[in-house]
Amino acid sequence: MQHNAFIQKQQYDREDAELLKRIQRADQRALSSLYDRYAPVLYPFGLRMAGSPEAAENLVQDVFVQVWEKADSYRSNHGSVYAWMVALCRVKAMEKIRPTNQKQRGHEVDATSPRGSSETEQKTTAAETIITLKGYTEEVRNSLRSLSKLELRLLELSYYDGQSQSDLARMLRIPLGTIKAKMRRGIQKLRQASAQEAK
Amino acid sequence: MTVKTEERHAQLELCIPYVFGRLNPGNRKQFEAHLTTGCEQCSGDLSGLYGAIALLPLLLRQEAPPPNVRQRLLSRISSKRPDQSRSERPTPQREKIAPPAAQPGHSWYLYATIVLGILLNIALAIWVNQLVATTASRSVQIADLTSELHKKQEVLDFLKAQRIEIVPLAGVDSGSGAYGKLLWDPAKQSALVQTASLPAQSEGKQYQLWALKEKKYFSIGVFDVTGEKENVVRVMTLSGGEKQNIESFEVTLEPKGGCAQPTSRVQLRGVTK
Repeated sequence: MQHNAFIQKQQYDREDAELLKRIQRADQRALSSLYDRYAPVLYPFGLRMAGSPEAAENLVQDVFVQVWEKADSYRSNHGSVYAWMVALCRVKAMEKIRPTNQKQRGHEVDATSPRGSSETEQKTTAAETIITLKGYTEEVRNSLRSLSKLELRLLELSYYDGQSQSDLARMLRIPLGTIKAKMRRGIQKLRQASAQEAK
Repeated sequence: MTVKTEERHAQLELCIPYVFGRLNPGNRKQFEAHLTTGCEQCSGDLSGLYGAIALLPLLLRQEAPPPNVRQRLLSRISSKRPDQSRSERPTPQREKIAPPAAQPGHSWYLYATIVLGILLNIALAIWVNQLVATTASRSVQIADLTSELHKKQEVLDFLKAQRIEIVPLAGVDSGSGAYGKLLWDPAKQSALVQTASLPAQSEGKQYQLWALKEKKYFSIGVFDVTGEKENVVRVMTLSGGEKQNIESFEVTLEPKGGCAQPTSRVQLRGVTK
């Protein structure tokens, strides 16, 4: 079943590449299709990084406008089209939103606090538009069960909040060496889960 | 473009901080310049890393944005771009397929200038490449020196303690020549351990310091001896009990990361009473 979900993801990757080619030829329907598929993933990602629905909406719009305008700039070293859009979204969030939110979020963080890891806990959704990716995301969650709570928390704080490893060591009162080792291990596990897709 | 193996390795170290947005603007530009040289190793690693990190948002609860976002987006892209220029512009595939247009009347020096330009670009790319490698290796050196400085500061802070007790450590095997000291700060419950002439640890091993209390071993921490006869100084926390209850401190060689109980013979021992 897991295998099927990853095969489905490979199919998505191929379709996305085709959609991107059509977008390069100014096909608005192709952009709509890409939007339908990934806006339900990018919007909560934007919410997590930006902190407000308005900012997240603008972020999603900005990402798809950039995809529309700069589809030619996609390169294979960006990973899949989806991975490229996630990277675009994060860069835009960091550029536009993070400087203001950083000040508001300058508080201590608990490695085991509900925010973060628990927000990634499995929750179900009723929105029909996101059913397409649902099976795949469940398989991703299964494959990432090997990540410890701390590893996941460190990756989230670093990726979503832009915290440096030394900041994390100070905030969580964990030795820097441990932070580095846990993050390296976490990235390794993410890579393994991602490589599973490619098989 | 040929890049030495060790340079590629150094640049591979930059992939993770690059994806996490942790490179400073200078290093980022240099790394991006390196990518333009077509380094397959870095491009492959980067692609895998982007794919891996993109799994994180999939763990969030999925939620479609409000319907008006889609309308606003479509309105933005319609108004933003008349599309005439783009529809007439060749796709990348067409650009590749299109034969280079022969320009009549160009004299030889035009081609010489083009060749010279290409050579200059290649030279520049090599120079940037070397610069990126040097910067990466300097960054690693700075990190090592900072870590070393931090350790030395830790030792100096420890030595500021008002009262320090000393427990000499001696090699258990006759003729080993290993020795050391354990300096104990009762107020902070911390210890400074110094060892000398211990044999270098083998692959997958680390030395582990133990406290023996009421015939039970309690791990204090692990440390590395990577060089033969290396002099090691480490500050460790000695939690869980008063020194009065400790019968001796002992050092053993254990699997990397340490064990719950000693599994090998004692290398150094210091009796407290």
